[in-house]
Amino acid sequence: MRTNPLRIGIDIGGTFTDFVVFDPANNRLKTFKLLSTPQEPEKAVLEGLEIILGKQSISENTTASRKANIIHGSTVATNALLERKGAMTALVTTQGFQDVIQIGRQNRAELYQLFIHQLPSLVPPELRLEVDERVDHEGNILATLQPVDVDNLVVRLQDLQVNSVAVCLLFSFLHPEHEQIIGERLRQAGYAVSLSAEILPEFREYERTSTTVVNAYVSPILDRYLSRLEEGIGQENNLMVMQSNGGSISPAEARREAVRCILSGPAGGVVGCEYVARMATSPADIRTHPGDQAPSGMGVLTFDMGGTSTDVSLIDGKPRITTEAVVSGCPIHIPLLDIHTIGAGGGSIAQVDPGGALRVGPESAGADPGPACYGRGDLPTVTDANVVLGRIPPEHFLGGRMPLDIDRATTALEPLAKTLHLSVEEIALGVIAVANAHMERALRVISVERGCDPRRFTLLSFGGAGGLHAADLARGLGISTVLVPPLASTLSAFGMLAAEVIKDYSLTVMLPGTTPIAELRSRLEPLTERGHTALRVEGVEEQAIHIEQTLDMRYQGQSYELLVPFSDSFLEIFHQLHETQYGYAKRNGTVEVVTLRVRAVGEVPPPPQEAEEYDGEDPGKAYLGARDVIFPQGTLRTPLFRGELLVPGNQLQGPAVIVRTDTTILFGSSDRARVDGYKNLFIEVGK
Amino acid sequence: MSFEAIKLEIFKHLFAAVAEEMGTVLRKSSYSPNIKERRDFSCAVFDTSGQMVAQAAHIPVHLGAMPLSVKAAVEWFGDDLQPGDLVMLNDPFQGGTHLPDITMVSPVFLMGSGNAPIAFCASRAHHADVGGMTPGSMPVAREIYQEGLIIPPVKLVRGWKMDTDLLRLILANVRTPEERSGDLQAQMAANRRGMERMAELVGRYGLEEVNEAMRQLLMYTERMTRSLLHSLPDGSYLFEDRLDNDGISQEEVPIRVRVTITGESATVDFSGSAPQQQGSVNAVEAITLSAVHYVFRCLLGTEVPNNAGCLRPIRVIAPAGSVVNALPPAAVAGGNVETSQRIVDCLLGALAQACPEKVPAASQGTMNNVTIGGGLPRRAGENGETRRGQFAYYETIGGGSGAGSGTDGVPAIHTHMTNTLNTPIEALEYAYPLRIRRYEIRRGSGGEGKQRGGDGIVREIEVLTDCQVTLLTERRETAPYGLEGGQAGQCGENLLIRNGETSQLPGKGGFELKAGDVLRILTPGGGGYGVKSP
Repeated sequence: MRTNPLRIGIDIGGTFTDFVVFDPANNRLKTFKLLSTPQEPEKAVLEGLEIILGKQSISENTTASRKANIIHGSTVATNALLERKGAMTALVTTQGFQDVIQIGRQNRAELYQLFIHQLPSLVPPELRLEVDERVDHEGNILATLQPVDVDNLVVRLQDLQVNSVAVCLLFSFLHPEHEQIIGERLRQAGYAVSLSAEILPEFREYERTSTTVVNAYVSPILDRYLSRLEEGIGQENNLMVMQSNGGSISPAEARREAVRCILSGPAGGVVGCEYVARMATSPADIRTHPGDQAPSGMGVLTFDMGGTSTDVSLIDGKPRITTEAVVSGCPIHIPLLDIHTIGAGGGSIAQVDPGGALRVGPESAGADPGPACYGRGDLPTVTDANVVLGRIPPEHFLGGRMPLDIDRATTALEPLAKTLHLSVEEIALGVIAVANAHMERALRVISVERGCDPRRFTLLSFGGAGGLHAADLARGLGISTVLVPPLASTLSAFGMLAAEVIKDYSLTVMLPGTTPIAELRSRLEPLTERGHTALRVEGVEEQAIHIEQTLDMRYQGQSYELLVPFSDSFLEIFHQLHETQYGYAKRNGTVEVVTLRVRAVGEVPPPPQEAEEYDGEDPGKAYLGARDVIFPQGTLRTPLFRGELLVPGNQLQGPAVIVRTDTTILFGSSDRARVDGYKNLFIEVGK
Repeated sequence: MSFEAIKLEIFKHLFAAVAEEMGTVLRKSSYSPNIKERRDFSCAVFDTSGQMVAQAAHIPVHLGAMPLSVKAAVEWFGDDLQPGDLVMLNDPFQGGTHLPDITMVSPVFLMGSGNAPIAFCASRAHHADVGGMTPGSMPVAREIYQEGLIIPPVKLVRGWKMDTDLLRLILANVRTPEERSGDLQAQMAANRRGMERMAELVGRYGLEEVNEAMRQLLMYTERMTRSLLHSLPDGSYLFEDRLDNDGISQEEVPIRVRVTITGESATVDFSGSAPQQQGSVNAVEAITLSAVHYVFRCLLGTEVPNNAGCLRPIRVIAPAGSVVNALPPAAVAGGNVETSQRIVDCLLGALAQACPEKVPAASQGTMNNVTIGGGLPRRAGENGETRRGQFAYYETIGGGSGAGSGTDGVPAIHTHMTNTLNTPIEALEYAYPLRIRRYEIRRGSGGEGKQRGGDGIVREIEVLTDCQVTLLTERRETAPYGLEGGQAGQCGENLLIRNGETSQLPGKGGFELKAGDVLRILTPGGGGYGVKSP
């Protein structure tokens, strides 16, 4: 057994690769960032590990001074999909259905465009192959797969120059044998094979095909990447890979089911937020300072505003799971954290359209050239507006490492000002207001559309650009509290550190709701057993394994399902859930159990963190001076604080700007803020 | 402070969010697959004078039609609209389009603002059955009375209290009352949410500012339309296309449009189109307005709010009693789903003469409506189940989209006035005595050209029990046109395969099928663009 291995969370982002290191020997948490190396993402990872573990242990496979458990989220699989740079993939389907992957649901993404733009299908027509077989909705075989057809398939594939094959036959979740026969032959022939009955044994053929094809398309890419990474890391360190469901998994599993790792970075952020929210309301903190009790059982709206996009999600006790994600035009129906992304961020470009409206985004200046104030671009962005308004003190940006060019930001905004006959400052306020309107709408989608009133929630802001907007957004949404955690910009990597080991299983069964509970139990048993086995293989101790069983249920004839926790009273719970979510229940209606779900969780104790004692209300030690900041109501002389120097117990009256190396936080004259025992900043938002 | 520039953009989001939130509530709380899965519904917000301020992007055919619903409600009830009232209607000749589309209109009142509504919220949903001669209420009928229950503007809710007698009357006239009741409840919930949000907006910004924002937003879209029209060359552009037939006679039904652009305004004149027909292909004026709105909305670009401003600079002439402005008691079920597509084809054909680079060739020009109903051999979906233990299944099938300058058409997709989703094969076979034998791209059916038209679809449905099929399809005889020398897309075909023998079925009509019969539908390809180099 290793003694006290370090735990390291690593998140590769577009610009930076973030590292969070927890040392159990002293309960210390350390974070740092390195520039990402997009061409070979593992380079930055290995460089960081060298810094953490010392050169020796990495490069020479000798006994290291410290061993490490590394949990890693990468954008390798995501980028392969977004940039359409995955493996050449063939698709095998039931006779007559090779085009399901392209027809999809027959609908178009944009209603009001005469020219329909569709991303190319991951499998071009010439790589779609059919086999003569058919199974019906009760699992009966209408046409048996003939061995000679399988032989022919192997021959046809030889000419196609592919190395990855997806197989998706109709109703294969009821009768997986045909897919398995094909899979076995193709694996023998050396292909990487993804079978739909293994990846997603659920009904709805297009979504199952798409999920399976994405897996076939990105798996070889992730496989190669993980091999390079494992080689560099050495065998004595344990590597785990983050999945989009918020849990981690071994590289062996990840390379087989790479589709589960798409969107793992944002998932890390949400897990990090969940941890922060739990800590911030923990009894320890309340004991330290009973007067400052955080809202109990805190639900949070997470708000991660970056340079080009903003991710929002909702945590009401637990993060929400969705099985209906679409990434880059491809449905991915495995369970993943419900995160809504919009194309607006600090780098979004402002312009005046022909009708005379001030528009922000969706075009972005990105990281290159970046906002005008970074010194290379000329187009006005949200960040430039913040700079012009005095909200980002140029000399403190990124800890002073990157001076900002205010004049350039002003120059970039001037043409807009001229067009609209406004001052540059008025335009800058307008750009912020419009950007906030975008983000407010995204936050409404993730809360209101999910049946939750945003006013009940705390807005948890992380990511580089969010701190300047969070208080105003909260005001607009009627939210009373904003929470900015101390690890705001490395929260994704931190979340990975706190992530549990998770395996999800599902199977469409389409049983009547009257099915005896014993039968449901016995149908759930094989899935549960698979979960147990998989976690034991992952090295999870038996007592740390925790199984969640759920049923997808609906009234017969409906086309959508509710997730019902499995228990003796699952029927009644279904009726109740239906009533709360949809306003009515039909207790005499026929109910269907559509799909069984099992989630096997290997609990990982999160890094323990202790609340620090409060050290006075006066934030004077962090005071850096005052500067003029422009608010809609006018210019205010606004005190500036160094975030890293604020201590638990500090109270701040707005207006104030808090600068940290990784982010800047702003709140207005009717707001006040305090620092809790974990150095979380709570902003109480006024009118 | 320049109101237009900044507040315009902010209120654009705010109003759109209200309409979208209504849509979310409707979809989540509705019962039928047609609303929940196929998303055949729309929600919108209107100003005090009934002009549409924002519409959630759901179904284009509802675009120009919703305002007439609000107008009909206001005209009928006048000053008698009170807080807590909700007006329901589906009468195509009084604010509706075709009978399955039921619209609910709610006036929004402000406490202490007197008797005048400050805004209206409306929702419209396609209900799977509203009675009439065949399940699904999309028959090939000769007059509207055969098509289902006609609801003129009536108050379903009066001062927050629902008229349960009225509801019972409606439910007694439809085949799936429980589902209808659930979907009507969902629409009411959507309207309530819209009213709440509008009241909140007024609370946050004040009535004056909200009113001003509405006014400015309409002017904004109007300006955008004017600037679009200004960019088009002045002139008069005539185009004629036709429907195959009305399903009763075999005569072609011509539709003619003359688009005249003069500076910043336009006239769209349908004079010369065929008179209204015996069959159900008649479009009421609302459909024609929707098609005009849709086409100009598309030319505007994506970010413009859907509101009444778009049509302000455009004068639409649709002669009463014609196939594009039918009068009672015309049958209209197909006007909404088929004729609307042809009106778009005509408009695009005319505009292609003004701006060939901005307009694609004809898309498939039909929705390929297939309704299958019959006795149930075994358990089937409760939704489709009728009072007599029967099932009714309705689907539309995509086809090819038209090619344009520099862009090939897209295969196998819904185009123009519809965007409903298909029902997954594995879901359908669980629920109905049907088996899909083939669902693939109809290769080679798109029109040739420098840019190729998109291909249609081949879909084979085997019926596992004796049943009745209603087809309401177009472009079986008149092909989707190409542009600039591009070839036309191939026509669609409806075939019946019985005991290995294939025979042709007409484009419109009702047919008895026997267990084991296969219905083979080939949908049209899109037109090509430009001359293909040899």
